[in-house]
Amino acid sequence: MKVVGARIPRYDGVAHVTGRTTYVDDVRVPGMLWAKALRSPHHHAAITKLDTRPAAELPGVHAVITWEDVPLLEYGHLSALGIPADEPLLAKDDVRYKGQPIALVAAESEELAAEAVERIEIEFEERPALLDVRQAFDPEAPKIHQWGNWYPHFEGGMDRRQIRKGDVAKAFEQADVIVQGVYRPAAIEHAPLETQVCLVVPEPNGRLTIYSCTQALYFSLGVVAAHLQVPLNKLKIVGGTTGGGFGGKVDTATETMTSLLAMKAGRPVKWRWTREEEFLCSSTRAPWHMEIADAVTKDGWILGRKMLTLHDSGAYARFSPYGLTKHSFHHTGAYTIPNLEFDGYVVFTNRVPTTAMRGFGVTSVSFAVETHMSRIADVLDLDPYEIRLRNANRIGDTSPNGIVYTDPSTVPTIQAIAEATGHELSAEFRTMTNEPRTGEWLPEHLVAQLGNPEEH
Amino acid sequence: MAKHRGKGIAAIEYPTGMNQNGDPSQCWIKVKPDGRIDVFAGTADIGNGSKTIQAQIVAETIGVPYDWITYDNSNTDSSPVCTGTFASRATFVAGKAAEKAALQVKAKILEIAGKELEIDPADLEIIDGEVVAKGAPQTRMSISDVAAAATWGHGELITGTGAQLKPYAAIVDPETGRVDSPPHSAISYAACAAEVEVDDETGEVRVLRLQQCYDVGRAINPTQVEGQIEGGAMMGLGLGVLENCYPYYPSVEHRGGAFGSYLAPGMEEMPQIDTILIENPSQDGPYGAKGIGEMANNPQPPAIAAAVYDAIGVWITELPITPERVLRALEEKAAGKHEPRREGKKVVFDEELSVNTVSSGGIRFEVPA
Amino acid sequence: MNIVVNGTAHAIESGPLTPLLDVLREELEITGPKAGCHQGGCGACTVLVDGEPRRSCLLPVAYADGAEITTVEGLGTPESLAPIQQAFVHHYAAQCGFCTSGMLLAAQAYLDGGGTDDPEAIQEALGGHVCRCTGYAKIVDAVAAAARGESFDLTQTAVGKYTTVTTGGAT
Repeated sequence: MKVVGARIPRYDGVAHVTGRTTYVDDVRVPGMLWAKALRSPHHHAAITKLDTRPAAELPGVHAVITWEDVPLLEYGHLSALGIPADEPLLAKDDVRYKGQPIALVAAESEELAAEAVERIEIEFEERPALLDVRQAFDPEAPKIHQWGNWYPHFEGGMDRRQIRKGDVAKAFEQADVIVQGVYRPAAIEHAPLETQVCLVVPEPNGRLTIYSCTQALYFSLGVVAAHLQVPLNKLKIVGGTTGGGFGGKVDTATETMTSLLAMKAGRPVKWRWTREEEFLCSSTRAPWHMEIADAVTKDGWILGRKMLTLHDSGAYARFSPYGLTKHSFHHTGAYTIPNLEFDGYVVFTNRVPTTAMRGFGVTSVSFAVETHMSRIADVLDLDPYEIRLRNANRIGDTSPNGIVYTDPSTVPTIQAIAEATGHELSAEFRTMTNEPRTGEWLPEHLVAQLGNPEEH
Repeated sequence: MAKHRGKGIAAIEYPTGMNQNGDPSQCWIKVKPDGRIDVFAGTADIGNGSKTIQAQIVAETIGVPYDWITYDNSNTDSSPVCTGTFASRATFVAGKAAEKAALQVKAKILEIAGKELEIDPADLEIIDGEVVAKGAPQTRMSISDVAAAATWGHGELITGTGAQLKPYAAIVDPETGRVDSPPHSAISYAACAAEVEVDDETGEVRVLRLQQCYDVGRAINPTQVEGQIEGGAMMGLGLGVLENCYPYYPSVEHRGGAFGSYLAPGMEEMPQIDTILIENPSQDGPYGAKGIGEMANNPQPPAIAAAVYDAIGVWITELPITPERVLRALEEKAAGKHEPRREGKKVVFDEELSVNTVSSGGIRFEVPA
Repeated sequence: MNIVVNGTAHAIESGPLTPLLDVLREELEITGPKAGCHQGGCGACTVLVDGEPRRSCLLPVAYADGAEITTVEGLGTPESLAPIQQAFVHHYAAQCGFCTSGMLLAAQAYLDGGGTDDPEAIQEALGGHVCRCTGYAKIVDAVAAAARGESFDLTQTAVGKYTTVTTGGAT
């Protein structure tokens, strides 16, 4: 019997096609209340008045929460990686993006909860919004974050992620041509078919059962426990079956607030985001701004790269510093470039905080690097397959931060596509392998970067 | 006015597991008295197929039929730690934890069987749910009987646990970005060729064909990995020509709040997709697998951008490549304004987008000549 | 008001303007149809009303008074799957599964109307249904196979159409 490598049907396939798979919204418990949120109507504003009493007094409303109800208001989701907290679970003094949650209501029906939210008395003093990452550094830019307009807490207290390798000045001096370009992929919605949803049931023994659509059960467990300041055994996350995520359900978007409502009401509470909330208030894939300048030779060797990245983080940091670091580690793409100078900033703007999405940090840089590669080929009138194969990383080459590649497949994947498309490669590129560089594939500029794959 | 066809290519790489690692997954397994296997893990199935993959890995590793496996990832009381289903880590990291737990179960089954058969466990193997003496296949005992013997005879519970963790790779020099150990578990590779048709009257870009090659390490379930790759291709197509939260970025106005106003790819946008899988096994993944779930939407946008250039001679480097952007670029080109600035050995594209143009004294991108 | 769901008659207590989806899910606790958007934009809530595919999130239950409604639960059971359900399993046409019930009912209506295995016709029939996981390819394959009346071996998925190259990589 061979099970690995076999085309086994999905473990949950029959359940999926018979409607028997239980997603969070399908769980039924008696006595359940519905939650609705009061969200910021402004991109940036001070909160000058917040009075929830008119909502709480409405018959059928069982709980209203604001920032005052949260035991630990700010918790850094990546505190283990040294990324401190900056985002309150519920807005306190100010709002920094349209859609930011300020207060939540739990009531007998969804309609009643919405009506109660309307009754909350709130006043704002609008502030100028910062939206263009390229203007965040300008002296006249509005100040929008307690840390300044860009993230200042990288290792060593640095305000940017840096990569330095080799001698960039020399590479640019030696270059025949310098090609410069700017790349700006858009913000994207995860748009899973199941919107953010959770159901929290207070148990008689004092525990909370949290039915969650999270992509990361233990991650969400830790986040909720931290905000609530309770040990892990007070919570049971029930999940594991998610109606699409794509990174957006790594954020613990609903679980903590719904838990607070359920505790306060002493009743089960469900919070199911509308599709409009999912589109307008849930985190997105970040928009990125990338500038690349490559020092190249006439025959297509890339001697060096200078790169500037501005990562539009939205209103708070969330996972952005992690994403930018990953981005920096991969800013040479599938190629070996020995001389590098990379500077990347996580920039705050008054838009919905951005978060992980499929290819986090790298989707952006793949677009920039690969479009740039095609441009270089065009500028130099070289074959776009062959310039890639020439610079492809090989066994023994090193990554931007000095890690030795032990078995890269850049060469065979490009060759396979050349064959599939019928793109004729010249003999030297057709027979190329990923074996360590020798002869014509080891020009002088690639010698110093070589590492020993055995020591990896 | 005409439709123009063009071709483009992109080659990419992508790491498996969280960047810098430090992301554990764990698994535990128990065996019922009739030999059926219960697997507990905290790995969410978001459609990626975690449940199927881990059940396959456990069945293969122990040597029992797939339908003997029950997989439970339903809650944090019964499951051990799993960092989660993201970072292309579910098959690779959580799958490895399942493999390790299954190896312990297998060893325990052989130990009990060894006592029952009075044979050194090292001389036993498991084939299709039966413990068989190596070189003497007539000496055998079903795993059902082994599990019964463990339960009712030896007073033992056959279990196994497994944990997979690659320690955190710290940045030891923030000036250079140097790390103290490899920041990834494995790297996967892919190449993609796109063929597009661009209508120079409407500006519409239609993706006709995507030919893709992925190094998946090992396809634990070939159909599942194909499904990931096809789904990723459509998401990459969306990134390339359709999707945008902020149609007039950086403005936050005119966001789409419905499927009718946010352009997720639909069935009518489906191109022809051809995929080649390369199996170049990884060192650390279960059965050599690598994680390709995320990278599946990375190579299409640049391949499409290059194909658009090939078709109509304009580089559009702000995504998505909408009809509006195509028509504006064609107008610029007709007015002779789309060419890069050439100065000495410098060829400078997209100056109007650069911080050097847009920032007023805040930040610059300096390039030596 | 009265509706018949999957062969069982129900007297409805919800108000006449309540969307059929909410009646099915919240009053009758038939949860196969999914609330993907409540805007008529995704198709996850699609059910058959007197044989016609309808977005139940936009349909006031009063408009379905007296109608025969089929949800995914009425297509087939795990023990006795309908051919279109078998095709979806065999072709791996569901990943997260959240769009699946709506897709299946649209596909069933297409097949009931004499739909063929022509991919373009299938794309047109199921065109308004959003799936974010599969990229649609395997959904179209599944509907086409069902249209051809193929039988399915559910111990393995469809044999893939892709080339696999195994290299002897070092690691």
